Amino acid sequence: MSVTMLLLLAVMGLAFDVGRIYIARNEAQVFTDAAAMAAAQKLDGTKAGLDRAKDAVSHVSMRWNLGTQEFRGVVVEFSADGSKWESDPKDAAGVTMARVTAPDNSVEITFLRAVGGPNNFVVPAHAAAMANPVRLTE
Amino acid sequence: MKNERGHAMIELAVCAAVMVSCLAGTFQFGYTFYIYNQLVTAVGNGGRYAAMRTYRAANDADLEKGRAAIRNMVVYGDARPSDLSPVVANLRPEQVDVEWVKDKTGAPTAVRVAIRNYPVNAVFKTVSLEGRPGVEFPFVGRYAPAEREP
Repeated sequence: MSVTMLLLLAVMGLAFDVGRIYIARNEAQVFTDAAAMAAAQKLDGTKAGLDRAKDAVSHVSMRWNLGTQEFRGVVVEFSADGSKWESDPKDAAGVTMARVTAPDNSVEITFLRAVGGPNNFVVPAHAAAMANPVRLTE
Repeated sequence: MKNERGHAMIELAVCAAVMVSCLAGTFQFGYTFYIYNQLVTAVGNGGRYAAMRTYRAANDADLEKGRAAIRNMVVYGDARPSDLSPVVANLRPEQVDVEWVKDKTGAPTAVRVAIRNYPVNAVFKTVSLEGRPGVEFPFVGRYAPAEREP
């Protein structure tokens, strides 16, 4: 009986929890894509452009967890060539790329925790975009 | 002996009811999440495409043509589909909302793509998705208000 119950919980966990994890991952990826494009669009080689890029990311209205929760702890970084990323680059003139990371999307596990799974599963996502013309690069 | 058989029947009936309910619920949620995930991917692809395509608005017909291309990208994965089989079961172009966000001059600054009135039929219950999933992408394409759609 208990073995059957564990198997049933595992099956329910696979359908419910893993389903939600996949959705959260997908939602986070779409959000970071849009946010990276919004940031890259504002890059103009000035410090004010970097500030506008960060502001644009904070105004991207998409949500996750079936469209119910705001993204928190979003990180915006900049780079000249995609090799070194900085949140606050000293030289804004050479910046041509923006990268957005949504690191804190923690899906609460409902059923799988009863069969030894974790309480939460973090689903991070990131995307990078270049300016002129704005295109996603990763 | 007869009495024990009766007990076993009652036990089976109670257990089967619980099991069937659990499995039905599992299928219900699993299938709904599966379809929702496909829709997130579809509107994401449509949003990316809309954000990067040229905005042509010589007249209302051109605007509508542009919207139709975006809807096709969401539904068929192709702006000009040759194969009319949707990427998500039973999704139709009229169930995709495309809305341009514009500045004071009328130039597009962003595009919103969302699903409306899409029923997820998971056998035991039908869930209707209204406005979800939805995405908003910044417009980064070429702005050509005087051009006609090809």
